[in-house]
Amino acid sequence: MEIKKDILWRVYLCFIVIAVICACIVGKAFYIQQVQGAYWRGMSDSMHTRIESVDAERGTIYSEDGQMLSTSIPQFDIYVDFKADGLIKDNGKVFKENIDSLSLCLANLFQDKTAIQYKAILNKGYKSKARYFALKKKVSFDEYQQLKTFPLVRLGKNKSGFIAEVQNIRLNPYQLLAFRTIGLERQNAQKVGLEQTYDTLLKGTPGKRLVRYISGGVAVPVNEDYDIEPKNGKDIVTTLDSRIQEIAENALMKMMVQNEAEHGCAIVMEVKTGKIKAIANLGRQNDGSYWEDFNYAMSPGEPGSTFKLATMLAVLEDKKFNLGSIVNLEGGTWQVHRRTVYDSEQHGQTNVTVKRAFELSSNVGMAKLAYASYANKPSQFINHLKALHLDTLTGIDLYGERSPFVDRPGSKYWSATTLPWMAFGYNVLVSPLHICMLYNAVANDGVMMRPYLLNSVMQEGNVIQQKQPYSIETICDSVTLKQLQECLVGVCKDSGATAFRLFKGATYSVAGKTGTALVANGKHGYADHIYQSSFAGYFPADNPQYTCVVVIKNKPHAAKFYGALVAGPVFREIADRLVTLNAPQPDVKFASINAGDNENYSYAGYEDDIKSILSTINISYKDSAKTTLAKMYNKQDKPVLTNMPLSNKYMPALKGLGLKDALYICEDAGLVVKVNGVGKVANQSITEGTPIEKGQQIKLDLN
Amino acid sequence: MSRAIPKSVSKGVDWLTVWLYAVLVCIGILCIFMAEYNPATYTSSSFFQGQTNYSKQLLFAGLSVMVATFIILSDSKLYPAFANLLYVFGILLMLSVFVLGKDVNGSKSWIPLGGGFNLQPAELCKIFTALALSKYLSQLNMDFSKLQSQVIAGAIAMLPAAISVLQNETGLALVYLSFFIVMYREGLPGIILVIGFSFGALVVATLLVEKNLLAILLTLIAALIVFIFRRQIFTRKRWNILILIVSIWFVCVGIQRFIVPYIFNNVFECYQSQRIYSAVGKDYDCSQNIHSIRQEEATGKASIKPDDYNVRQSKIAIGSGGFLGKGFLKGTQTRGRYVPEQSTDFIFTSLGEAFGFVGSFLFLAVYFILLLRIIFLAERQRSGFSRIYAYSVASILFFHIVVNVCMTIGLFPVIGIPLPLISYGGSSLLTFTIMIFIMIRLDADRQMVLR
Repeated sequence: MEIKKDILWRVYLCFIVIAVICACIVGKAFYIQQVQGAYWRGMSDSMHTRIESVDAERGTIYSEDGQMLSTSIPQFDIYVDFKADGLIKDNGKVFKENIDSLSLCLANLFQDKTAIQYKAILNKGYKSKARYFALKKKVSFDEYQQLKTFPLVRLGKNKSGFIAEVQNIRLNPYQLLAFRTIGLERQNAQKVGLEQTYDTLLKGTPGKRLVRYISGGVAVPVNEDYDIEPKNGKDIVTTLDSRIQEIAENALMKMMVQNEAEHGCAIVMEVKTGKIKAIANLGRQNDGSYWEDFNYAMSPGEPGSTFKLATMLAVLEDKKFNLGSIVNLEGGTWQVHRRTVYDSEQHGQTNVTVKRAFELSSNVGMAKLAYASYANKPSQFINHLKALHLDTLTGIDLYGERSPFVDRPGSKYWSATTLPWMAFGYNVLVSPLHICMLYNAVANDGVMMRPYLLNSVMQEGNVIQQKQPYSIETICDSVTLKQLQECLVGVCKDSGATAFRLFKGATYSVAGKTGTALVANGKHGYADHIYQSSFAGYFPADNPQYTCVVVIKNKPHAAKFYGALVAGPVFREIADRLVTLNAPQPDVKFASINAGDNENYSYAGYEDDIKSILSTINISYKDSAKTTLAKMYNKQDKPVLTNMPLSNKYMPALKGLGLKDALYICEDAGLVVKVNGVGKVANQSITEGTPIEKGQQIKLDLN
Repeated sequence: MSRAIPKSVSKGVDWLTVWLYAVLVCIGILCIFMAEYNPATYTSSSFFQGQTNYSKQLLFAGLSVMVATFIILSDSKLYPAFANLLYVFGILLMLSVFVLGKDVNGSKSWIPLGGGFNLQPAELCKIFTALALSKYLSQLNMDFSKLQSQVIAGAIAMLPAAISVLQNETGLALVYLSFFIVMYREGLPGIILVIGFSFGALVVATLLVEKNLLAILLTLIAALIVFIFRRQIFTRKRWNILILIVSIWFVCVGIQRFIVPYIFNNVFECYQSQRIYSAVGKDYDCSQNIHSIRQEEATGKASIKPDDYNVRQSKIAIGSGGFLGKGFLKGTQTRGRYVPEQSTDFIFTSLGEAFGFVGSFLFLAVYFILLLRIIFLAERQRSGFSRIYAYSVASILFFHIVVNVCMTIGLFPVIGIPLPLISYGGSSLLTFTIMIFIMIRLDADRQMVLR
């Protein structure tokens, strides 16, 4: 009985344990399905449906003359799914049949690998059965269109396994031109320039779309009622002018390369409005080339002699001196408070007029004027600088402007020599843009304009916001202004003045000021003899159109460092070409090319093409051409082919060329082409054999 | 069906068990069908083409019917007679895996049979072990209260388990623990099970409760017990009780403070520890695990933190089924193939999602009835061999069902063992078929005394 009882007890216990565990399971199942049910169901839905963001198209940045400066273009990354149904079907029959022709096509299209290499890559991918095999990245839209017609690829995504992932990349068609100002739009990195400043306008609003994931990772839109369409970004039109920008950039580049300068900038501002028409920033790269790497135009530095204009303004406005007052230049050196002011050369001049002192860019003269006027009351001088807004930001609509620095009496840096040194542009930090703003005010009859870059905002081709020029204030009375203008003109016109030689032979008048400043180089101080050459001015002086500032920081111990020799020529080149560009174009008389009598003809084109045409239509000809381009003309009733020499320095004859060839030749030589009519070139505005220059305009008449 | 088989053969066959078996196999094929169903390729003939898992399972079911018929037709005396021989054969088969074995999902426990079919000897060996254990325990002169017999019985059950562990099939090895339930029924002292369960409870407590708090709790419990027995200990001076209590306390704290962390950090792989932790709703820090540290040093890469992805997906599937379920073939979680291993280890999820709580409950009820029926059959046996064997069957089924279902609903760590008769897999289905039908055959001859 004992045993039976024991066994029964054990069996019951087993039953109980089983029952308890079953109850646990059922309880837990109930808990999951009923109590937590909503949570898990929500989780399930969230796994299958998801709100995806739909990217908005970023707006384009235009120049004022309608050129695209920065735009978004689609770019494709090509992947292959080697386990696509179509590919693995019938043991890869489709793949094996098409691989040879496909490799050949790929090699022809991309030109980066041979057909054999492509075949090897494809075979390798096929063997590895990769589902996301990166075949080629950064494929352009055109290439992608071609790729879609290739064998295998044209079978479609499911059969070929070819997947194209689109992404929009930002493209600056003009590359270097105003690159830094236009800025960068990068993923996962800080934007810069206009791309940053107007990011909110450009980027638009991404849309939202509810999609449901179905088997195989494919997403299908669920309900279009809930979709929010992306709002594409707005386009912005800048004040930059692509032609002026190109002129400024080229002129600056030429001097930078020639002088192996460290960095430099050139700003062109429209006098009446304050529009920045061009802003070039070039910095020397490690390999010796130059690139728009930093916004030098907005970085404050010691301006040097161009700042003397502010000193003059203060002195004249306060009527301490007039232009005829005499100031003793002491031959070029002057001791004040145990420090010596040096002029840039020992000119030996003593008593000269104030105007002359300015024209000679005498540091001694300026220091003396300021010292004599304000030594007892330096804050009066500082107040002038403040009134000129030289101590605050210019307010240009571009992120990254750094504050200028103007010392004040009583600060810990202030000493007795601060004021006289300030008078010729040391002990203050202002940016080239600031100097530009100041000179522009003088050009603009005393009205200071705020510089700006955004002209208008456009949406779908319509202007929705137009920015108006903003005048800050009038900087001085008209008497002072006249005197200042006279001084600036004098610098460029009077014999012996610093910029006299620079503007010899100019067809227009210029008002400006040279500047040469010794730049402190970190702990080396001023010992490295790094000079910053600058030139600030406006032109034409009698009817100012543009203000331009050029600042170039030279390499240590550069042979050429005077403002008039480094920055000046850049200014002159910009001014020359802008004046030409803006000159009312008289009806260009086409340089006549002797048309001869009617039976004469002259055609030109690729030598091979001409020959193949002539032989196809069975015309015998005399061949003496050896260049790629050839000319064909009539000689004793027989076509003769001769050489057609080309050069980048002299204008070739374009007559008889098709537009394609003519454009190629001209643009290769750096000419800006304007075309009229259709057909072949009949007339050209630059005569054959004339020296040509990059950026020059040529008109072609086609018949 | 009963008419098709001659009366003499079908006499005594327990038809309720057979029907329950048939129902479960059908549910199994249905579940696999739900998990595998692809509207793009499905045609009514795809059941019979052998391409998909459900049609393969149908094939196995057919094979099972043949094997079952064969067993019903066989002689009951064969089983006790060949029990030991089959056990030796089974062990040899398991050992042969080390030579002939093939890797399937990281466990080297399969023998390839050709034609895409594999055999898992550890599955088959459960039957042989059950037979051998029944044979040993039903010996006439058996006195199971002796330690020697207990050790031998334990060794018979644990030998295949040990080989399984070596084959990296921890899940299957654990199944052999279910033989302890049988041994308990046959007189194994309850204290062993009590110790076993206490150890389990202590491990869980270690994972759940902060270690210092747990040590204090254990000390308090020990102090309480000493307080309860204070008269016996202090008045009657029975110091051995005090020593016993103190040493048990000492062992418990030792386990909690040192052994459990040691096992989790040094014995288990990171993913195993993580699974156990996540079953109690905690997170395991793999950076303490010696295996992942070694792996990091070897590869130089930080080891990837294992995720309880399976369980989460499985809970989503079951949970989103709700009370009545989403309906046949309407489970998004199932159709989207979100649950890994759904047609094998996580087959319960497809049922839970499609038929909800009601479906799961009814399904588990079928199992419950089957288990109760088998225990009922066991207790009506005259011969010890049949009874013990039937208990073995019940225990193995019970263990499989509990562990599998608990795993899918997150009550138990993820261990890859199949749901009997439901999960896709020929080895598993055939093993359970043979096991159940041997029992039915033995039961049919319950009036006979088998040795």
